[in-house]
Amino acid sequence: MRASNWLSESLAVLAKDLRSELRSRVAVNAVGLFALTTLVAVAYQIGPYRIHEDDRPHLLAALLWIILYFAAASGLSRVFVKEEDAHTANTLRLAARPGAVFAGKLLFNLVLLAMLEVLVVPLYCALMGYAIAGVLPFVALLVAGSIALAATATIIAAIISRASGSGTLFAILSVPLVLPVLVFLIQGTRAAAASSEMAAVVPALQAIVSLAGVTLIAATFLFPVVWHD
Amino acid sequence: MGGRPPGVATRSTPPATCHESTSADSDNGSGRPEVFAILRAVKAVRVEFAGIAKRYGNRSVLTGLSGALVPGTVTAVVGPNGSGKSTFLNILSGLIRPTRGEVRYRGDGADLERQHWLALLGVAAPDMAVYEELTAIENLRFFARVRGLTHDDGHLAALLEDVGLARRELARPVATYSSGMKQRVKLAQAIVHEPAVLLLDEPSSNLDEAGHRMVANLVARFRLRAAVAVATNDPREMVWGDARIELAL
Amino acid sequence: MTKRSNWWPWLLGAWMAVVIWAAFYYAPAARGFKGESARIVFFHVPQAWVAVLAFCVNLVASIRYLRSRHPLDDARAATAARLGLVFSVLATVTGSVFARVMWGSFWNWDPREVSIVILLLVYAAYFALREAVGDPERRSSLSASYAILAFVTMPFLVFVVPRIYWSLHPDTLINARGSIDMESRMVQTLLGSLVGFTALFFWLYSLDVRLAKIRWARRERQGG
Repeated sequence: MRASNWLSESLAVLAKDLRSELRSRVAVNAVGLFALTTLVAVAYQIGPYRIHEDDRPHLLAALLWIILYFAAASGLSRVFVKEEDAHTANTLRLAARPGAVFAGKLLFNLVLLAMLEVLVVPLYCALMGYAIAGVLPFVALLVAGSIALAATATIIAAIISRASGSGTLFAILSVPLVLPVLVFLIQGTRAAAASSEMAAVVPALQAIVSLAGVTLIAATFLFPVVWHD
Repeated sequence: MGGRPPGVATRSTPPATCHESTSADSDNGSGRPEVFAILRAVKAVRVEFAGIAKRYGNRSVLTGLSGALVPGTVTAVVGPNGSGKSTFLNILSGLIRPTRGEVRYRGDGADLERQHWLALLGVAAPDMAVYEELTAIENLRFFARVRGLTHDDGHLAALLEDVGLARRELARPVATYSSGMKQRVKLAQAIVHEPAVLLLDEPSSNLDEAGHRMVANLVARFRLRAAVAVATNDPREMVWGDARIELAL
Repeated sequence: MTKRSNWWPWLLGAWMAVVIWAAFYYAPAARGFKGESARIVFFHVPQAWVAVLAFCVNLVASIRYLRSRHPLDDARAATAARLGLVFSVLATVTGSVFARVMWGSFWNWDPREVSIVILLLVYAAYFALREAVGDPERRSSLSASYAILAFVTMPFLVFVVPRIYWSLHPDTLINARGSIDMESRMVQTLLGSLVGFTALFFWLYSLDVRLAKIRWARRERQGG
């Protein structure tokens, strides 16, 4: 029987995916390119001065999350499809426990999202003149939101990898489920930008954390079904 | 990121996890003990299948197969192309659900749960690839770790050498390998955890004569303890079978 | 069963005819709403309710399918989703028309408007997924998994978003259900409509499931 635990097996999956990605750079290129292109387009056309002062809080928060999510989606959706394309999915299916596979892939998607945020957020704030008053609340939002988005994206990526695997299908399936998270993230970002108090983002944070929790629990039960069928 | 096999090319005494020093009938002729030898108490697992049928729409691929894979025997699954050999092995390994019938893994007289028998199962098949961006040793390290094994790199490198990969090849990405070398890595992945049930789908494909002898040796070693099934069209492989399942179109 | 199917649809038809009449003639015009526009509420609210009910039926059938793996449970789930899609489209359209008459624009970002559209998107996604999978068993289990996943995130839209929304946007819109103290005749009509639409849903659902049973039985006989 197994000597190790679920955590080390998940980390093995994560390490394998990171190593693979480092050498092929498929997801990183797609995500980075998308992010930088949209960022530059938005910054060039809109920039810090073209938005009316009243509209700035709404627009700047919304634009940030649009750029982040759609750039991420191009990378997040591939995490299982690449295994099916390379014919390694069945090998992995027989070698690893479903829980470890899901956790490892989820962690990989989290790393991808984190790298994207580290790249995009400072650039965005600089290029668009976006001053965020509550940095700590904003970071809390980023962490919670990333977990929620990654959890949803990972389970849907698993579902589409067993279907046609297309990016379009990923978009169709994920939009209804990701929309609530994005709505709360945008509202929370607006609140964090306006005030440095943690209390300002608490409603949004509560909603995001509970969404993340509920999605993770559902995914934990559903993933073995999706993976093994 | 480290953990490349040690630069020193000579292989020292076999690692502690391997065992029986056999008579020197290894296919590499150097007389050193084979890593394939299984001495550790491999659980005797029997795979019973009853009434296995598989249909895709109106097309019936398998109709009513019953029997068992018994530890200590090799079962040859033979038949023309398209007769369902690979489908049958996939059903045994749980990758495909049969339309009818069931597969049971029994050990110590009781049915085993899926998570238990998966750990005791090794499969090598044409459509089950290994990770091409990783090196052979990284692949094995991953498959060992993800199965909860604690083999060190020395053991893994020795295993890869026993399937016929030279030590200097082990640090190159699998994508640069020939198809024969890739096949060897696949076989290594199938046996790294010393499975009690070994399913091989056309194991000698892409291999040269030396490779074929290596596979014959591998099957012979595993036959001692495990339940082995080999799906094949190759007459040289068919003769390995103590039992035979014939599939027709 | 034949006896039942003889009078049951007729009763339903008569009931719905009465409801329609009541919506236009029995219930009074609501105060505070523009002219007769409030009457659409008697159809809009039940349609939205049925869309959500269908979602719940789909959830139960999906969970049952994952346990039983019986094709009929999958047929039940798909039927419920199909009806849910139709009713959520109807609810969105009637709600939109009402919004146009009352407030001058078809779309107002009222949280409930948004949640019914999201439900519509979930149904559409459900069918897009089914279309994308060839193998019937895999199609059933993947769509059941998606339905369950969608269901657990839904309450956040229906219940939590309105609370958050209100707290950040104090200038709320009056919700389309009207004021709480309705006249008794309006309440009667609304309840009658709710009962009628619910019965309509279950009747259509049972027809489709019966058809699925016949098809399945025939496939079993042919399969042998």
